[in-house]
Amino acid sequence: MDDATRQKIDQDVKAHPVVLFMKGTPAAPRCGFSATVAGILDELVGEYKTVDVLADSQIRDGIKEYSDWPTIPQLYIKGQFVGGCDLVREMYENGELHEALGVKLDAVEPPLIVVSPAATRALEEALAEATSQEPGGSHHIRVEVGDDFQHALSVSGKKPRDVEVSVGKLTLLLDRASARRAAGLSIDYVEGADGPAFKLENPNEPPRVKSLSVKELRAKMLAESALQLFDVRAQKERDQASIAGSRLLDREAQQHIMTLDKSTPLYFHCHHGQRSQQAAAFFLSHGFSNVYNVTGGIDAWSVEVDPSVPRY
Amino acid sequence: MKLGALPGGGPPIVERIREAIAQALPGAEVRVTAGQAGHFSVSVRSGLFQNQSRLACQRLVYKAIGPLMSGDRAPVHAIDQLETISS
Repeated sequence: MDDATRQKIDQDVKAHPVVLFMKGTPAAPRCGFSATVAGILDELVGEYKTVDVLADSQIRDGIKEYSDWPTIPQLYIKGQFVGGCDLVREMYENGELHEALGVKLDAVEPPLIVVSPAATRALEEALAEATSQEPGGSHHIRVEVGDDFQHALSVSGKKPRDVEVSVGKLTLLLDRASARRAAGLSIDYVEGADGPAFKLENPNEPPRVKSLSVKELRAKMLAESALQLFDVRAQKERDQASIAGSRLLDREAQQHIMTLDKSTPLYFHCHHGQRSQQAAAFFLSHGFSNVYNVTGGIDAWSVEVDPSVPRY
Repeated sequence: MKLGALPGGGPPIVERIREAIAQALPGAEVRVTAGQAGHFSVSVRSGLFQNQSRLACQRLVYKAIGPLMSGDRAPVHAIDQLETISS
């Protein structure tokens, strides 16, 4: 990068308390990551400086070198590099960004969380173990709920801005974003196929299409007599190869599905699992809550379950 | 074209990302998944992240894969999610 470019960047970074290097402008962002960060800043601060790196290729390359950071957008607050989209979003969710920008942080109401007796015992054991390894440390149970509703439990110390939930003698710690997604969460400890494991159920989780392997499908077909398995392919593909017990998803079958109880498990397959994913998503959007897509489709079925079904 | 495969052959980009990180951060556990074309998600667990800020951790990873992200024809356009876990 030449001196003029470095100086120009340096001036911008030092002259404004908040500077966002982005693709496009907040009103017309040219990249999703830039749009996300601009959206967050729009919410938290009235005014901030933006630099459209697409308008100047010197700046576009220069800022990457200046910050030692290979991606756009890049956020500076009070002359300090804060990070890219990932970090900014995370800091927004846990409240760090509010602090850095001097914005007042609203309190997050501690969510109601139910912990079963078995889970309480298992969590207390984990805490006891952590305490024996590190006596005198502060040990609590951290509950994380990701934006994709992936859950994680761990033993952790308290962190700033944590939301604390007392359940019996346990103190559960949640970051602000997790806390907002955890109202009504239940934590259980149950016997599973691979031994006992925590089981978390979150009523806030939107229903989604669940994936099912062909082997799991096989097991379900053996266990349930009237399994609703629909073949999303065309009739001429069915003529070449089909799974016994499946039904072509034609208009009549669609009408039939719509008459079923919304909690009825529905299974969809196609050749490789792409088209059936869309069909499954369609019925999910019509209120069905137990919708499965068969991963790998009939092709995987031929390979892994029933070689007598021809591949094509 | 298979997702994550280079038009000109060679190892898939997922593999190149994984290798670049593993080389820069010896002993790291690296998971790379492909999203839309040119977009990837990366999760790295490494002892080198201990007592480092998230910014510093992400820098270490970005430094490793920088060469794959630079230039107009870079195989890696964006990292959708970058997770750094200290071990």
